[in-house]
Amino acid sequence: MKRLSLMAATTAFLLGTTGLALAQDRGGVMTYGRYADSLFLDPVLNDANVDIWILSNMYDTLLMPSADGKSVEPGLATEWEVAADAMSVTLKLREGTMFSDGTPITAEDVVWSLKRASTPDNGIWGFLVSSIQDVTATDATTVQITLNRPDPSIIPALSVFNTAIMPKAAFEAMAGATDLEKATAFAANPIGSGPFVLESWDRGSTMKLVRNEHYWADGADGEKLPYLDGITFEVIPDDATRILRVQSGELDGAELIPFARVAELQNDPNVQMELFPSTRVQYITMNVRDEIEGRDNPLSDPKVREAMNYAANKDAIIQVVTFGVGTPMTTFMSSATPMASADGPLYPFDLEKAKQLMAESEYPDGFSTSILALAGNQDELGIATALQQMWAQIGVTLEIKQVDNATRTQEYRDGVFDMRVAAWTNDIADPGQITSYFAYSPTIDALHSGWKSDEADALYEASQSETDMAKRTEQYATIQQIFNETGPIVPLYETPYPVALQSDVKGFVQIPLGNNIFRETYLEK
Amino acid sequence: MSMTEFLGRRLLQLIPTLIFILIVVFVLVRLLPGDPASAVLGDRALDADVERINRELGLDRSLPVQFVVFVKMVFTGNLGNSISMKIPVTQLIADRLPITMLLTAMAAVIAVTFAVPLAFVAALRRDRLADNAIRGVFQVGLSMPVFYVGLILLTVFGAKLRWFPVGGYGDGFLDHVYHLILPAVTLALSLSAILMRNLRSAIIGVVDAEYVTFARAKGLRSGLILFRHILRNALISTLALFGLSIGTLLGGAVITETVFAVPGAGRLMVDSIYGRDYPVVQGLTIALAVLVSLTFLLTDILQAWLDPRVTK
Repeated sequence: MKRLSLMAATTAFLLGTTGLALAQDRGGVMTYGRYADSLFLDPVLNDANVDIWILSNMYDTLLMPSADGKSVEPGLATEWEVAADAMSVTLKLREGTMFSDGTPITAEDVVWSLKRASTPDNGIWGFLVSSIQDVTATDATTVQITLNRPDPSIIPALSVFNTAIMPKAAFEAMAGATDLEKATAFAANPIGSGPFVLESWDRGSTMKLVRNEHYWADGADGEKLPYLDGITFEVIPDDATRILRVQSGELDGAELIPFARVAELQNDPNVQMELFPSTRVQYITMNVRDEIEGRDNPLSDPKVREAMNYAANKDAIIQVVTFGVGTPMTTFMSSATPMASADGPLYPFDLEKAKQLMAESEYPDGFSTSILALAGNQDELGIATALQQMWAQIGVTLEIKQVDNATRTQEYRDGVFDMRVAAWTNDIADPGQITSYFAYSPTIDALHSGWKSDEADALYEASQSETDMAKRTEQYATIQQIFNETGPIVPLYETPYPVALQSDVKGFVQIPLGNNIFRETYLEK
Repeated sequence: MSMTEFLGRRLLQLIPTLIFILIVVFVLVRLLPGDPASAVLGDRALDADVERINRELGLDRSLPVQFVVFVKMVFTGNLGNSISMKIPVTQLIADRLPITMLLTAMAAVIAVTFAVPLAFVAALRRDRLADNAIRGVFQVGLSMPVFYVGLILLTVFGAKLRWFPVGGYGDGFLDHVYHLILPAVTLALSLSAILMRNLRSAIIGVVDAEYVTFARAKGLRSGLILFRHILRNALISTLALFGLSIGTLLGGAVITETVFAVPGAGRLMVDSIYGRDYPVVQGLTIALAVLVSLTFLLTDILQAWLDPRVTK
């Protein structure tokens, strides 16, 4: 990987993210409606998107994900270099940076934070940085990461939430004996170096962030970011209420607008209806084991799976469920994922071919099976109902089982489900994570489906230490081909993140990985 | 039996009730499919992480051992920490339950304010226009789904007329009350309908009673007859119904809290059940059980005061 100079990177970064906007107005507090509250604001020990997607506003990472989610930009580190043998990374820290309490960010803080993130069994995200062997400070502004294997995803990993830099001294001064206890105390009043600082938090209701007066980055006007004085997150679980609050002007923005309401809001002159590109894919997982709880499993027949794939009219589902917002998938990973193949939509609807495949299968007269859908989730029920009708035409009788999330997870993990509706979003700008869960059998049995390809497993393992970009791209192309052709899923569609904003809100972005970025957001006066 | 004796007996009855609830909630929450670790970690959970977290939470121990630990904690006033939010359950309850209590209290006041006078009008104008109109309107209120009523109120009085905020909870007590008016009205709608109908028929039953005819014959003022003889006697059954309804209201505030984005205990309960957050579900159930039992006790006392036969 080549060495990036500070100047070039900063210029590219400023051009890339500020776009055409000329005058950024400063001041004001932005109110943003969320569907659910955060749970635990610790970068390493959190478990859920409700935390991950806002953490970067409070905690900085060494590198930052780019707005398109495919590459990285300088963060607390200005330069980085991977050694020729790919067994270490050397990073130059930005000088003069401070935490929100005014204490300087030292190389020691960086070393401690990265070690904490890569400690085995400390939280569930350690696998993203499992290649880290050791971290040392070679001088006051240089940090060296030693790896236990060449890791092509180590650079994007340094832009992921769990490698955020935290103040060692302040954290260790917290009450408690264990890392979890200290993290719990620390997360009540987190100190990071992101553009905002937590001011107050009424759980289930309101979270207030104020601007971090010590933030390092410059805005387009030459003064320090962020432009906003603060952000107020309001938790409004009901979709209709969340939209109503935007329409009544009580909120400056709201996330997760249901697809059914997107067109209406696009036509509302007072609202900017944004559809931010995402890494979210929606699909059906099929259990492909020969037997499920002693029953014969028709889904184990590749011909049956292929027939069901051709019989599923994705365009119709996209119209019915996403009201035309979604797009067909070209591979199992989203098109916003680096190295995603794009050779046209997978399994375009072809009923004749589907019928023929069924006739050739071991189940020419059809069969009965079931699908798990999340109770009360309109999208999932819509998908299941549409598939029920589509598959009836090839003799497949589908029973829709509505269950709650924990019940579904249990059946999923136990491998006793027939099929389920599922969705995925990447956490890192690298194809490794999604491939590990989807196609690499040792992780979770390929989506708990029981599917296994020795070739895909071997290619994935090789890709984890392949530093030649071209070779790695080739490996992922083959994995995708194998999985797309024989895999245990029915790919349905990709969807963007639907966000409704007041027309005066500028510079807000939700990146493909889901992070809500307010650092350059401003309210136009 | 004196009033003190009556009270003492009712308080003693609370103890077995609460012990029963402890057992039931402990068992029921564990009968649900799934466990806290996989509910929190979701689809991506790795076996090793699930096992580690369940071990850290003590969920790998046998049920009797877990129950003993749980009971010990309850009796020392420690309800454990939330699994997903990591903070103490007692703190969560202290933050969220008062919100639901305020909402329920406001709904009860609103319901009674409308139900009692209108029940009188309806009963005393039985089968005439006023009676039919009142019953008709309340019937509509009773049959409309809560989330729909809530959304209509939000759209009309919040977004369009701007008399009230569109959901949320606000800052400071008066602002809280202001934010809770629409949700309280929504919640009060069905309660007031039930109370009105019950009280109306109770009044109709009492109006024709011999002692009322006698009071009239004595030439007592109609106001005095209304309050001392009719209302006091008609209220007895309605009060029992009211007490029971408060319990339902406390548990049933979930939908209202969701539609109006009120961060109350109802929403916390639902989120915690979905998240298999055992300590929160257990703690909140106990707190609600105590609260409902106290409401019943209060109703009993009021009833005993209205109807001396109760303590006999």
